[in-house]
Amino acid sequence: MSDSIRNFCIIAHVDHGKSTLADRMLQMTGTISDREMTEQVLDTMDLEREKGVTIKASAVRMSYTAKNGRVYELNLIDTPGHVDFNYEVSRALLACEGALLVVDATQGIEAQTLANLYMALDADLVIVPVINKIDLISARPDEVAQDISSLLGTSPEKIIRISAKDGTNVDQVLESIVCDVPPPIGEDDAPLQALIFDSHYDAYKGVVAYLRVFAGSIHLSDTLRLMAAGVDLKPVEIGVFAPDMHPMEILTAGDVGYVATGLKTVSECRVGDTFTHAAQPAEAPLPGYRKVKPMVFAGVYPVEGEDYGNLKDALEKLQLNDASLVYSPETSQALNFGFRCGFLGLFHMEIIQERLEREYDLDIVVTAPSVEYEVLVRSGETLQISSPAKLPDEAEILEVREPWMKIQIISPTEYYGTIMDLATRRRGIFREQDFPAPNRVQLSFDIPLSEIIVDFFDELKSRTRGYASMDYQFAEYRRDDLVKLEVLVNGESVDALAAIVHRQDAYHKGQALVTKLKSIIPRQLFDVPIQASAAGRVISRATVKAVRKDVLAKCYGGDITRKKKLLEKQKRGKKRMKMVGSVEIPQEAFMAILRLEEE
Amino acid sequence: MMMANYSIYLHIPFCHHRCSYCDFNTYAGQEQRIPAYVEALCREINLAAQSSPNPLAIHTIFFGGGTPSLLPPEQLDKILTALRQGFTFQQDMEITLEANPGTLAPGYLETLHELGFNRLSLGMQSANPEDLALLERQHQYFEVIQSVKWARQAGFNNVNLDLIFGIPHQTMERWQATLGLALGLNPEHLSLYALTLEHGTPFQRWTERGLIPLADDDLAADMYEWASERLDTAGYCQYEISNWARRKTDGDIYACLHNLQYWRNQPYLGFGAGAHGSAAGYRTADVLGIQAYIAHCAGGSGKPFPTTPATITSTPIDRRTEMQETMMVGLRLTEEGVSARRFKQRFGESLAEVFGNEIAYLVGLGLLEWAGEDNETLRLTRRGRLLGNQVFMQFVGD
Ligand SMILES: Nc1nc2c(ncn2[C@@H]2O[C@H](COP(=O)(O)OP(=O)(O)OP(=O)(O)O)[C@@H](O)[C@H]2O)c(=O)[nH]1
Ligand code: SF4
Ligand SMILES: [Mg+2]
Repeated sequence: MSDSIRNFCIIAHVDHGKSTLADRMLQMTGTISDREMTEQVLDTMDLEREKGVTIKASAVRMSYTAKNGRVYELNLIDTPGHVDFNYEVSRALLACEGALLVVDATQGIEAQTLANLYMALDADLVIVPVINKIDLISARPDEVAQDISSLLGTSPEKIIRISAKDGTNVDQVLESIVCDVPPPIGEDDAPLQALIFDSHYDAYKGVVAYLRVFAGSIHLSDTLRLMAAGVDLKPVEIGVFAPDMHPMEILTAGDVGYVATGLKTVSECRVGDTFTHAAQPAEAPLPGYRKVKPMVFAGVYPVEGEDYGNLKDALEKLQLNDASLVYSPETSQALNFGFRCGFLGLFHMEIIQERLEREYDLDIVVTAPSVEYEVLVRSGETLQISSPAKLPDEAEILEVREPWMKIQIISPTEYYGTIMDLATRRRGIFREQDFPAPNRVQLSFDIPLSEIIVDFFDELKSRTRGYASMDYQFAEYRRDDLVKLEVLVNGESVDALAAIVHRQDAYHKGQALVTKLKSIIPRQLFDVPIQASAAGRVISRATVKAVRKDVLAKCYGGDITRKKKLLEKQKRGKKRMKMVGSVEIPQEAFMAILRLEEE
Repeated sequence: MMMANYSIYLHIPFCHHRCSYCDFNTYAGQEQRIPAYVEALCREINLAAQSSPNPLAIHTIFFGGGTPSLLPPEQLDKILTALRQGFTFQQDMEITLEANPGTLAPGYLETLHELGFNRLSLGMQSANPEDLALLERQHQYFEVIQSVKWARQAGFNNVNLDLIFGIPHQTMERWQATLGLALGLNPEHLSLYALTLEHGTPFQRWTERGLIPLADDDLAADMYEWASERLDTAGYCQYEISNWARRKTDGDIYACLHNLQYWRNQPYLGFGAGAHGSAAGYRTADVLGIQAYIAHCAGGSGKPFPTTPATITSTPIDRRTEMQETMMVGLRLTEEGVSARRFKQRFGESLAEVFGNEIAYLVGLGLLEWAGEDNETLRLTRRGRLLGNQVFMQFVGD
């Protein structure tokens, strides 16, 4: 009975309390007992729990008895708030009829509040706004209600005010979902159309596709067809999330659930593909999603060459659960064999790096992130360059184009000046301003992506004491006067340290980089000269003097065990460094270009 | 064989005041506990002696601290008596007492000498009042002069002075003056230690807060190299990274036999709060606190050798670990180094078989060399002495 089904997602700016609200709903509907309850239950990855951040959307089915006495099936999808994982939100939206828009009563409307709201409106969802964290003393629910009202047209009194933490008024949210979000429409006996909106890999069940049935129904015994991939399969298992995988015999129109496909590669079962019946296929697939395109690229290398195979396996496995990660083999003179990986953003990159280190126990070196440049060379060819070292000789180049973004920054008006200053220093071009609420300004700029990935967000946060938030989208490629900044360590050019910078910035960035590297590269057994050069000219040089003293002054009977531990620790630290030629370079050095502003 | 020869370390964890750089297991203002502590110490000695499979022969005893010279002669006597009862003393015993200048008197030193002490190690540290103040030492330089004089009068003909270099604000000239003044006292032995910032000391906190400058490693290296030359000229032989000794008339040097025991990775027993031992395939450590130590000793009865009721950790040392530790400590000996022949005798495997790669790598870097008569002594090069960690770490871990 699709009449009693409600499919909705929770969207918000990062940290406004989506996962916590999901917790309360799971508890109130008895989906999870109080005993099983932990904070942010749906954040199951270690990393999510540790960082308190949702990375992957997750779906869960709840059974709710409403005030009218009827029992409803509520399918909730919790989404991540971080801008890097926007695409997760966009997928989740397609599986829903409604969206709970959570706004933090102490923070008000922020950049991803707007970005996610617009996406939800685009997908024709019914929006149920809620104001969260009213238990906090600094909460300003009235003001925030006004702001939301002017955005959505809902009258301020009607907006539910809750505390996801202590459960206040969460019952009203459940009622509102039942009353305001429409039930899914779709016929159980029409040909099957089920949209894959996410997936994960299970060692026993293969790729598990998360899907929303739009029409028809799925039985365990059916032979299913993936319409885009053209693959037929018999499901290993079908079911719903409650919140763990819970097998069922049938999924009908309107349901949100999963199909365990038994497939071993995600490429055969892509997010956005449509399931239908092999015997009685639907006429056309459902409109899929826009394909996600990686925005930042970095080299990932094993510290020890023999770990190459393990790194490859690990990337393969990660990709099974994260189709937005792309990688291809790459070689570097300095770092030998590794991979050039593409990420959605810096946060995504950081997460992959941590997962490789922790879940796969790999010692890796990650080079500074770069954007993908388009380089028009004399031969008339256009090259895609995502690794600065690969930028051809200047004589070969006709023009270099780089990706520009549209960026929106929302902040209290008092920080107007400092935001302007930051954006224009980073080559940003001011486009427009808007005042979405009293005392709040939204500033829009065009800005090169390469300037954003270099510490832009941290700098923005520190300039605005954490009050500003931002969102960005790709705009277009534009040409500019860009040159390669090369670094020579001990006389050898280290490709992994190269960067592409604006000609005007080359001089001061080169100097700052050399100074930074001098402080990062530890003293070795010999003098190590460091040089930066751009367009064939040496800009700056410095020398890391040879170490002269490195010895434990004392080692007597009582110290031996402790001193041995110290030496072992020192040895491990040394091992984690990368040998480039005969110089040991710590991982940090490869990120130095990102941290020049601190000097 | 030397193998059977044991050494004994006794820890005396009392000081009048804790020096600002010190992280040793020592306590200020606990002197009223000395009698009970000595009683516990004697009990630990008795229990260990009883548990040993056969009477052990010992050849060195070292009273370290803390400040052992805070113990009155009768207490020291008690301890020595307990040791004599439990162990067989060799012919030429070396019995050392660590002492702080300012805690000594002529009569006290005479009694010590009569009790059998024949080596005195004085914590001089510096001759400069500003250095001494920063280190929060409780003595003045003139007290060092007095102590040495009284020690000589009492019959000590083996005196060591501990010095520290690389002290914040210390200049090369100041260090040169300190070493010059120390040499003027004509000690048989000198230990020169580069100041190390230890975790949890006032020194570390001051450095963190920027109250004192960070040690300049290059200056400390200059000081060390200058001192090496100066001591060489003055007729001292370096035998360990931080230790020098004068030549005796018989051609031998006044090396500290007790410490050689450690560096040769030979067995020793440790008694007292926080004392460590290494014997019969185990490394042991005693409980740290004074009261806990007293309680452990009072309550407990005999334990399997080499542990006692005061032991809180006892780690078996497998052969691989023993080899690693033999390298790590043995290579500190700048002349003697590690003998390939003795290594093979001890472990049945040759240095080349066990550590061939590490040795080749370090010889290649110019940090280790083969020396001695048959070229079978592996030791640090002159340059390697200041870069010891780069060498030692190759032999530890996996
Ligand atoms: N005081 C108070 N704190 C809350 C409330 N709701 C959530 N929080 C806290 O806000 C922080 C963020 O909550 P989450 O539920 O993880 O937020 P989220 O929106 O899921 O965050 P992302 O998934 O990272 O976008 C946590 O520390 C919660 O404990 C509330 O009603 N009151
Ligand atoms: S005298 Fe020695 S043991 Fe006592 S506090 Fe000073 S340095 Fe530490
Ligand atoms: Mg969350």
